[in-house]
Amino acid sequence: MRKTSWSKALLALLLVLLLALAACSGGSEEGEAEGDSGGSDSNKSEDSGKKLYSIDDFSAEKTNEGEAIDGGHLKFGLVTDTAFEGTLNWNFYSGTYDAEVIEWFDEPLLADDENFMYTQDGAATFETSEDGRVFTFTIRDNVNWHDGEPVTAEDWAFSYEVIGHPDYNGVRYGEDFTNVEGMEAYHNGEADSISGIEVVDEKTLKITYKEATPSLLTGGIWPYAMPKHIFEDIPVAKMAESPEVREHPIGFGPFKVETITPGESVVYTKNEDYWQGEPKLDKVTLSVINPTTVVQALETGKVDTVDSFPVDQYPDNAEMSNVEFLGQIDMAYTYIGFKLGTWDKEKKQVKPDPNMKMADVNLRKAMWHAVDNNAVGEQFYNGLRWNATTLIPPSHPEFHDSENPGLAYDPEKAKEILDEAGYEDVNGDGMRENPEGEELVINFASMSGGDTAEPLANYYIQSWKKVGLNVQLLDGRLQEFNTFYDRVGQNGDDDPKVDIFQGAWSVGNDVNPAGLYGRDAIFNFSRYASEENDKLIEEGISEASFDVEHRKEVYNEWQKLMVEEIPVFPTLYRSELVPVNNRVQNYSIAFEWSGLHEIAVTQEEPMKAE
Amino acid sequence: MWKFIVRRLLITLPQIVLLSILVFVMAQMMPGDALTGLIDPNIDPAAIEEQREKMGLNDPWYIQYGDWISSALQGDLGQSFRFKMPVTDLVEQRLINSFWLGLVTLIFTYIIAIPLGITSGRYNDTMRDQLITGYTYIGFATPLFIFALVMLWVGGFQLGWFPTGGSVAPGLEPGTFEYALSKFQHLLLPGLSMALITTVNTVQYLRSEIIDTKQKDFIVTARAKGASESRVYNRHILRNSLLPIAAYFGFEITGLIGGTVFIETIYSYPGMGLLFMDSVLQRDYSVVTAVVLLFGIASILGALLSDIILSLVDPRIRIK
Amino acid sequence: MANAHVDTAQTDTEVKTPSTWSIIWREIVRDKVALISLIFLVGTTGFVYGISMFLEQSEIVTVDLFAINEAPSEQFWLGTDYGGRDIFGQLIIGTRNSLSIGILVTLMTGVIGVVYGLVSGYYGGTVDNIMMRIVDFFLILPFLMIVIVFVAIVPKYSIWSFSLIMTAFLWMGIARLIRSKALQERELDYAQASKTLGTSNFKIMFTQVLPNLSSLIIVTMTLNLAANIGLESGLSFLGFGFPETTPSLGTLLGYARNPQTLEFHWWVWVPAAVLIFLLMLAVRNVGEALKRATDARQRRG
Repeated sequence: MRKTSWSKALLALLLVLLLALAACSGGSEEGEAEGDSGGSDSNKSEDSGKKLYSIDDFSAEKTNEGEAIDGGHLKFGLVTDTAFEGTLNWNFYSGTYDAEVIEWFDEPLLADDENFMYTQDGAATFETSEDGRVFTFTIRDNVNWHDGEPVTAEDWAFSYEVIGHPDYNGVRYGEDFTNVEGMEAYHNGEADSISGIEVVDEKTLKITYKEATPSLLTGGIWPYAMPKHIFEDIPVAKMAESPEVREHPIGFGPFKVETITPGESVVYTKNEDYWQGEPKLDKVTLSVINPTTVVQALETGKVDTVDSFPVDQYPDNAEMSNVEFLGQIDMAYTYIGFKLGTWDKEKKQVKPDPNMKMADVNLRKAMWHAVDNNAVGEQFYNGLRWNATTLIPPSHPEFHDSENPGLAYDPEKAKEILDEAGYEDVNGDGMRENPEGEELVINFASMSGGDTAEPLANYYIQSWKKVGLNVQLLDGRLQEFNTFYDRVGQNGDDDPKVDIFQGAWSVGNDVNPAGLYGRDAIFNFSRYASEENDKLIEEGISEASFDVEHRKEVYNEWQKLMVEEIPVFPTLYRSELVPVNNRVQNYSIAFEWSGLHEIAVTQEEPMKAE
Repeated sequence: MWKFIVRRLLITLPQIVLLSILVFVMAQMMPGDALTGLIDPNIDPAAIEEQREKMGLNDPWYIQYGDWISSALQGDLGQSFRFKMPVTDLVEQRLINSFWLGLVTLIFTYIIAIPLGITSGRYNDTMRDQLITGYTYIGFATPLFIFALVMLWVGGFQLGWFPTGGSVAPGLEPGTFEYALSKFQHLLLPGLSMALITTVNTVQYLRSEIIDTKQKDFIVTARAKGASESRVYNRHILRNSLLPIAAYFGFEITGLIGGTVFIETIYSYPGMGLLFMDSVLQRDYSVVTAVVLLFGIASILGALLSDIILSLVDPRIRIK
Repeated sequence: MANAHVDTAQTDTEVKTPSTWSIIWREIVRDKVALISLIFLVGTTGFVYGISMFLEQSEIVTVDLFAINEAPSEQFWLGTDYGGRDIFGQLIIGTRNSLSIGILVTLMTGVIGVVYGLVSGYYGGTVDNIMMRIVDFFLILPFLMIVIVFVAIVPKYSIWSFSLIMTAFLWMGIARLIRSKALQERELDYAQASKTLGTSNFKIMFTQVLPNLSSLIIVTMTLNLAANIGLESGLSFLGFGFPETTPSLGTLLGYARNPQTLEFHWWVWVPAAVLIFLLMLAVRNVGEALKRATDARQRRG
């Protein structure tokens, strides 16, 4: 009796299981038919490639359809699997998610154009003195804080005083500040005020810089003001934790903060007194969305748009009917770097060492030739990442040298170069030895995170193996973020076991490479330095380079030098995609866009996918 | 009994101190610190180094520990670097969220486990029992993160029955009725997803307890005396089988404040589990230390509570 | 339950032991489901360990750019993952690795937990008190933090080192269980009598109390084995699982945390999920049969 019921049970269980399986596979077929029409068939056959996309087919601007309604409520999703920190002030924030939150209610006083140059269209205009060292800023008359007080020159100067203050506990004190005259004395507590900053009248501020460089005009000025009448009485060390930053922050942007649920959501209402005109939307809600549910949230109209969309989810969802995908080239690149020296902690500069394993430029050249980044881009990223050529990405069209082809995929050439340089297989194990005939094992450090991290690293290792180079993953596994940067040398303690490493850089507004490849840059992880490099970097920020044409030439030279010397080689450029609900109008993801107040919607609720 | 409790609490103290030292030593051994995440060409490395120096991150662990313990004794657990706010405030926010989520999960767990466990134990080896046992097997083999995700897709997005993320709808004023209602609605789906998976342990446990109990002599005696079957189950078996479950309750308390990384990540629910994982990954050590100690104290108290309940249930485990 | 042990204890354990095994064997053979489960278990284990001797692990985990995320076909029986790696091969090696971990962890936690619990429970009093506080301490250790430190320190993240670290966090459950039973056991007449006769504590513990707990130990360990298969899936979710070059059922299942894989590439994770389910089911079926075999009143036929 019991036996039979047991086997019945097993049968029942198997049935349940089969049902579950059927449901799963049924669901996925349906999904595929929906999201991948055409693509799924070709996926199955062996040789036909997969669906490819190109960033050129995307626009950064939303196309408008239909008639906008008055008011409306935009739902904005912040895609992250953690909570945002809630340090909602430009002077104190450190996480990118906080920046996304601040952008809706506070903005910089200076606007910039597509080449990241400051323009006269922002909340403040500026004039430069003959020698380029003195900037006189004038804040427009109609720029007011959310509480009605005018934004004054005092407020702007105040943010310099706060960030330069010895008690300041954020990380924004950098080049934009040290270059201000008298800032260092103030920062060290030797002076009570900053001699280079002068409040001329209520709306006019004058800043004197120690050196005039073209970088000043591309993001070299701290453009954020801080409401002095609110923060005046709070000690600098206590500002970041004050309710004025965390619970009811104010700014002078198009929307006001109404409520904040810590780490989850923010509700904004429109700022009728906004200096560029009354915003069209009544209300904006920002809430955190997990990357695993972002597609569902968009399809069901829970959000209109998101700050960034996981690009790997695009190919399966490209046909989503209720959104338009906007796209542009991301300000970032992935690279592979070679250790060419160490960090000299005393002198605070790099110390190139000609005896390093990777010191031979031919070896580095061959390794670049050996990898097929076009195939990587197409197969892993469906063309949404693509072969990179130089160290200034095309997101900076003015300075990216599109004529420079980098080094192409050519394994035969790689072998040739290695043969000529004396890297030959002398002991017959299929792997090349170094010119001295010693075993050559190259240790490769790569970071974990993201699905493709591991197959990608393994693909590179296989490619190098094909040209006869024995590359091993450091410790046989990927390194966790903190471990990776510790070992690569973010503190200057480079792990001698690391020979080559794969990382990624996001690029600032200013293309000046000094911070990543300069002689005294700790982020110059390959520890490369040469006189030619020093000269070009210096020339790029010299007064002569105020002439953009000259600066371009200098940076083309520098990009060429990097392709010849290869301290690192760029592997992939990236694209950035953002889906926007069809009801949204006047939206854009371009870097220079500042039209939040222009956004409008054509119906009360977001459209849903069919 | 009271002497026992006081003594156990006294032993807790060195355990906590030991734990706090351990956390500091490990913090030193972990690669990176709170500022490593800020590797960004837009931020000056010198500014980072300055903050590092200011926060004492360059000091050896025993100096950091000394600083920490002297202010901890005055009730100050330090500042979170990442959130730039006092750790106590931060933990308080998250703890409240986790507590409610834990409570709802616990209630669901018992609502599911008790009837299923009783049915399964009472009618063991029948079709009903097989089905329930089948469910527990599936529960064992299903990873929580996949299940929670599918529940969210189906219940939150496709059917639209539940809110899809966060702990409360945006824009509501704390203290109002709508706020409380919205909080409750946001707890249902995550609580249910977690309970459906974690309850299988309790079902299994209850089932085997009942099967054990119903063959014991006193039950046989009760039956022989002519007690009705329902009386036997409700009065004798159930009471005896539920007690060990009650003893388990002490451990559940720990889970109540611990939160769960999986559920909190998928439902974007800012609770303790998420806070702890983020803080460890981002090396926000003042938060890590506070949370580890909080967990430690809670689980020691939980174990104590379990021992007390057990000793009440089972006189053989005497408390001396 | 305690009563049952009293009568078994009076007979000589050394003669009794073989007959326990024969009872178990008889019970399993009688219970067809358990028998099938056992055959399935032995078969699968033999198959994966056997086959994987001929499979080249490095070849299976070779990334193939031109075969990414392919559905099952004749060439790839169970399709490929996002690195273009064959799932079927990974499944076989993964099952072997997961079984190895499960068995290793179960044995290690079992041995540590049983000895620890037995000593603690048998001596009781102060010894018990101190030993249990040590267990409490282990229970409050921050698991995630220790794993991160551990991963950063060990040069090679292998099955052995993984099993060791898991053992360090998993032995307490069984220790507590055995200790509570041992506390009950030592109050019983047979143990007290032995003691009065002057038998050494060591001998009482391991030759008299331990055999009485053997059924409990076997059952608990079998059920633990079921839980320990696929143990590493949670860790891979947090990003501290094995490198992908060491496939396991847990890592295969962990791929499903990517919504694309979960929804569109079911072949990557469903086979692993089914296999974990079947293995757990089989182990538990055998475990339940063992439980009945060791408890005279539940024995069948």
